[in-house]
Parts: sequence; structure tokens; C-alpha cells
Amino acid sequence: MEERPNALLLKFPGTNCDGETARALETVGFAPRVVPISTATPDDLDGVSLVVLSGGFSYGDYVMAGRLAQLVTRQKLGDALRRFRDRGGYLLGICNGFQILTKLDLLPHTSLVDTISGRFQCTWVKLAKHGDRSPYLKLLPEEFELPIANAEGRLVTETSEQAKALVEQEFAALTYVDNVNGSFEAIAALQDETGRVLGLMPHPERFLYRRHHYDPDWNGDAEWGWGYYFFRSVYEAIVNEPALAGAEA
Amino acid sequence: MTATATYEIVDRYKEPGDCSALLYAPLDLTLTYRATRRYTVAWTGGEQVAVDAFMRATLLDGVSQEMHIGEDAALSGYLFALDYGMKPGALDLEKEAVLAYYRGLAEEPGFHLEQFTLRHRIYIFGDAAAQPERFVRDICNPAIHTWNVIHA
Repeated sequence: MEERPNALLLKFPGTNCDGETARALETVGFAPRVVPISTATPDDLDGVSLVVLSGGFSYGDYVMAGRLAQLVTRQKLGDALRRFRDRGGYLLGICNGFQILTKLDLLPHTSLVDTISGRFQCTWVKLAKHGDRSPYLKLLPEEFELPIANAEGRLVTETSEQAKALVEQEFAALTYVDNVNGSFEAIAALQDETGRVLGLMPHPERFLYRRHHYDPDWNGDAEWGWGYYFFRSVYEAIVNEPALAGAEA
Repeated sequence: MTATATYEIVDRYKEPGDCSALLYAPLDLTLTYRATRRYTVAWTGGEQVAVDAFMRATLLDGVSQEMHIGEDAALSGYLFALDYGMKPGALDLEKEAVLAYYRGLAEEPGFHLEQFTLRHRIYIFGDAAAQPERFVRDICNPAIHTWNVIHA
């Protein structure tokens, strides 16, 4: 029987996308496990290939989205996520998870703030890939659609030059084709220099099957949505690097 | 001896909003608003520099926000400002979340927190004919809030 790489989903009070994200991970071949942050310890990362911070409203988005989750993660795990990344682990933040990752300094210095409309946005967006180093995007076309659902999804940097540099240096893995929320340089996803740490505002887990698309006649694939290929990409990256597939502390 | 300080967090990237969005019915005046959060901290057993550091680390996003320290208003040029927050004894989930984090720290951060208060402040800009009463009526809920109006 095929051995499945382990994926760990950290769940905060208010996280509400862990179930469908775990389903997506299981569908592409991972063995996912959801761990509440209240019981999480650095030992939970042993034998894990992928850590996922999924979407939701951790701690009610109090103070600002992701802030309290970041503080509690540091309290509970210390520097364990950084060490996990340094030993070859993969780290993914979706929506609220992306907001948390930016505050944990595991991604370039940025922040996600209220959309330029000041409203919660729940819609589908077209995304464009940048560069080819992201292991999460290998199986995806140059442009594809995913849904977004957020209020604080506008990516900003301290200066506009910093945002330009993020695109030029391929830290921006995805941009919005139509900049729906006023993000600097239309950035929708950021990665670190290794490509193994990725944060994105769109929800790939919500487009796992073809039937999840808003258009019943969508013909991009006979069975799967683009979210399937997103998770399948990182699965293949991990199983093709067996030394990383069972990363120990 | 107990010392106190006030910290006001201002979003750098939030554009001024149309005041009609705050009210039940549109205004016939041209008014805009900006919202901030004000935290008042009372502490013992430490210097303000330690409290400042805690507040920056806990409540401030260095990329998108600025922190103003002091009783005076962080913004200028406003007609009036409305300060409101939960009544004493009413459950303030944001305050409780911050306090839970403080209580969970392995070591005290150089001071002992005695009291922590959160207020939301809305600055109103524009037509000088504007009056605060409608804002108080539509924004504040007397069952759970206390409030005060600050005139420029």
C-alpha cells in the first residue's frame, strides 16, 4: 500500500476551513491530521512533510486578522515552524493562514489589510502564475480561477518599491488578473526564497472538483478543479523528494 | 504605584470612508470618517518602555499601522470624534483575547498589567454643520456601550 506523506493542519479558535482542506489533502494523497493549537507542541511536527494553516477567522479577527493566532503560535511552538522549514518542510497558509504566515516572518515583510472597497469580498478571481519555482503550482496552467472570501486580503508593503521587488524577484507566486482588492502589484500569493513556504488569499480547497465551479459548463478538466492540481503539485514535489517526505525533528 | 498610558492604532492604508456607511439613513452632508482603536493600560512594577514594547509586539502591525502614544488624538483636522466601547462588566471578546494572551506568557513582560481598556474611535471630517447626535444614536448601543464625544 502506498505510504502517504503526513500533513498537519493547525486549528485555531475560529478556523473554519480545516475540514475541507483536510479533505483536499487526503484526496491528492496526503494523510492529514488536524491539531488544535491549544494542544500543539513542537513534537507534532515530527514526521510531517506539510504544515497547513487553513482559512477562517482565527480569534474572531480581533486586533487584526491573524495577529492573535501568530502570537499564540509563537507561544505554543516557539521557533519550531522555522526549524521545520529549514529542514526541508513545506508550509502553506490559505487566506487567514496567509495572514498568520506574514506575521510569523516566514514570508517576505508584508501585511494583509482591509480590501480597498472596505467590504468583505466573496467572488471568483482569475490568477496569473509568476516564475516556475513554486512546487504548489507546477501542474497548473499560466492562468486559472479560484474563489476568494475575505475582508482583509489586500496585500501591502511599507513602500510601493518593495512590492515591485517582490514581483521582480519572484516572491509573488500569483497575481490577480483583475486587481479586485487593491493589493500592491496585484499580489495574490507570496512565497519564500525556497518556494516551500507559500501563502495565498484564494481558496484552492473550494475548487477541488469540477462541479465546484460556478459555471456548470466549465470544461477546464473532466473531473477535477484547479484546487486539486494545486494540492497534487505539492504532493508530487514531496513524494519525489523522499528525504523530505518524512522530515524528522 | 499604578501608572497609565494610552495607545492609539491608526491604519496607514485605510482610505477615509463615507459617513453614510455608518448610519441607518444617508446624510445630506459631505462627511468622511476614519476609525482607530485606543487602548488604555494601567500597570505596576515596571517602566513604560516595557509596556510600549509589549503593545507594539501585541497590537501593532509594523507594515500597515502606526502607534500614537499619549492622551491626545492621533489625527487632526476632524470636526468631532466618537469614542465608544463595552460597558464595564459587559463581555469584550477582543479585550479578553488580548488578556488571555498576556496571562499565557511564560514570563511577565517587565510590568504587571492591572487594567486594560479598549475603545473604538471614529473621527468625523467635513461639513462643519455636522452634529454628533445621529452618530451616537446609530453607532452606540446603550445596552452594552459607553461613549463620549470629543470636539476638536
